[in-house]
Amino acid sequence: MAADDRSGMLKEAGLAALVAFALAFGLVGFKTEDVPGGLAIVLRFGDVAMIAGLAFVGRLALALLRRGRPRPALSMALPFAIVMLILLLAEEVPLPAADWGRFLPFASPVVNWLIFIAAFAIAGRAGWTLWCESAAPGTEERHRIMGRIGARARRTARVLGPIIFVVALVLPLFPFADRRILDIAILVLTYIMLGWGLNIVVGLAGLLDLGYVAFYAVGAYSYALLATYFGLGFWICLPFAGVMAAFAGILLGFPVLRLRGDYLAIVTLGFGEMVRIILLNWYEFTNGPDGISGIPRPTFFGLAFQRTAPEGVETFHSFFGLAYSPIDRIIFLYYLILILALITNLFTLRIRKLPVGRAWEALREDEIASRSLGINPRNTKLTAFAIGAMFAGFGGSFFATRQGFISPESFTFIESAVILSIVVLGGFGSQIGVVLAAVLLIGMPEFFRELHQFRMLAFGAAMVLIMVWRPAGLLAHREPTIRLDGGGRSAAAGQ
Amino acid sequence: MNTPSAIAGAAGGNAQKPLLTVDHLTMRFGGLVAIDDVSFVAGNGKITAIIGPNGAGKTTVFNCLTGFYQPTVGRLALHHPKGDFLLERIEGYRIAQQVNVARTFQNIRLFSRMTVLENLIVAQHNTLMRASGYTFFGLLGLKRYRAAESQALDLARYWLDRVGLIGKADWEAGNLPYGDQRRLEVVRAMCTEPVLLCLDEPAAGLNPRESAGLNDLLAFIRDEHKIGLLLIEHDMSVVMGISDHIVVLDYGRKISDGAPDYVRNDPAVIRAYLGEEEDEELPPLVAEDISEGRQS
Repeated sequence: MAADDRSGMLKEAGLAALVAFALAFGLVGFKTEDVPGGLAIVLRFGDVAMIAGLAFVGRLALALLRRGRPRPALSMALPFAIVMLILLLAEEVPLPAADWGRFLPFASPVVNWLIFIAAFAIAGRAGWTLWCESAAPGTEERHRIMGRIGARARRTARVLGPIIFVVALVLPLFPFADRRILDIAILVLTYIMLGWGLNIVVGLAGLLDLGYVAFYAVGAYSYALLATYFGLGFWICLPFAGVMAAFAGILLGFPVLRLRGDYLAIVTLGFGEMVRIILLNWYEFTNGPDGISGIPRPTFFGLAFQRTAPEGVETFHSFFGLAYSPIDRIIFLYYLILILALITNLFTLRIRKLPVGRAWEALREDEIASRSLGINPRNTKLTAFAIGAMFAGFGGSFFATRQGFISPESFTFIESAVILSIVVLGGFGSQIGVVLAAVLLIGMPEFFRELHQFRMLAFGAAMVLIMVWRPAGLLAHREPTIRLDGGGRSAAAGQ
Repeated sequence: MNTPSAIAGAAGGNAQKPLLTVDHLTMRFGGLVAIDDVSFVAGNGKITAIIGPNGAGKTTVFNCLTGFYQPTVGRLALHHPKGDFLLERIEGYRIAQQVNVARTFQNIRLFSRMTVLENLIVAQHNTLMRASGYTFFGLLGLKRYRAAESQALDLARYWLDRVGLIGKADWEAGNLPYGDQRRLEVVRAMCTEPVLLCLDEPAAGLNPRESAGLNDLLAFIRDEHKIGLLLIEHDMSVVMGISDHIVVLDYGRKISDGAPDYVRNDPAVIRAYLGEEEDEELPPLVAEDISEGRQS
């Protein structure tokens, strides 16, 4: 029996190593490098062997874990993780004695850190299982543990919201918040806002929209065109961009009212592409692929963020008697998008508790039953499309003013896909989940820039991991919109 | 065959107009005739049962009444306190919104990921929508909306109390036991404050005790709320126990109509349910076998 078990585990690990080898052979084994006189192929079979070996060992540890033998898994993973950590730290702090780095499996520190994290995770799982004294963590057990973690996450989510809010509020004041960090934060906040906006359409109303970026584009172009043709400022155009995008939402909504699920997704996908292609080809109006440049920057109650203001305009730094600093504008943009995102969030939280919000959710659950209760499906769906699109319009006009330049390039399908993944990974309808997913999906690839073209692998890996561990999204918990006693006290009585 | 006016006299007994008058209702799907010239009336404060074998067209009658189908021919007149309405002329969801006809479904259709309480609040959508000034006032958090919401909560609490689900108000509706889901669907329809409630097999899948409880609930709705109930049911203990009036359909045609006792003994009904009496047509040899079998 034990021998059978052992050969099974070895077979499993061997198979994993084989797959890793097959994948790495082509992807990692050959590398083209510029040498004087042309390209040369560098063979990296050492790395391939390392990858296969690591896959074998890692899978073996996992197999041991799954068969209820955490002790050998722990004894494999823990020393490995410790050695990795020591080597990594030794490399960070260069010691004069020796070049410790050459003992690390790979040249890239990010990859090494990832391997350390994996080993640490396996060791942690093994340790946890040992600590729990549960001999066989079957599927049941795992679900129970995940459920308990989920319940705890739910409780922390209520605390997490304010914490994230405070951190976001004071982020620009930290000394480490340089231009790069703030730029990433602005990007993440933009996606959080878009995620919250799409959450209304997809999470609440259950209308799968693959063309959400179209409304973002409408908002951006509304502002850009109004500003360049009529010389209007950001603050006047912001509501107008929202209205234009909402109108586009209704325009899309009408023909797709009868569609559901996959069919709706296809049509919205087509709509997104249509908007982009119109922007690309209507050269006289939108300047086509050349884009629109020189979009005016936002002002702080009429004060410009410039070193020297054009005539008739006072600058921010001279008004407040400060020295000019280019980061002022970035900080202002940061707070601007933070406020826009918070408005989106508060609006969503509020409208969920209103009849129209409940009707969205009812429509998502069962359209026929909703109709039998006298809910007008047409108007309800159209309001969802319009309100979701309106927030994308606000976001788009912020994007235009931040970049100063927009072109149809920025509004490709991949953007819609990213926003949708944020909503899905965050957990449909979960506001905090969207924040976490956006930080993970937008922030992480920015930090992993060092991985060059493999950067998107980190994106993919994050998605796969979330789908494996939390198939319903990071924080898939639905807070009821109303309770009998009006408060949250009866929450525990539920289950 | 009974004429509608004669039945109205039998059902209502007074000069008052019946709540619902169905005249010559016909529904064709292409060449298929699902309902063929059916007429009946349903009185206010009465339970009218529609029974018949599978495929007789009972649910199609409901779908015509509640706006899911547009009848091919026929008149569906509703005598509402606000006036008389012709249901076949009203667009789908407006039947629930404007003339207060509510229904339940053969296969339960709850909002399963919403809580029990939310299901009942969604049912009061139109009242709350008006109170929230079509969302605008609600967004501002005006007092008027909050008052309407607490009124909606009171109504929900009343019905939850009635069906014993008050302790499970914050459960997800999909997690309720089957019997509770059935009852919840009935009270969700009641939360729309209907004048006519159409129940499509509310006792399907219930055990005898649960279906006795359902009988009580339906009788309570009829007696206390004085609305008309239209009931499709296969469970004869429910039908015979509480119906005031029974309409029997078979292959889309009405074959019998009257009080439970009358329908129970109607040869046409017995024929539809149990088949023709075929003794006389049996070949002599088979008849002999049968009689020999009886003797031995």
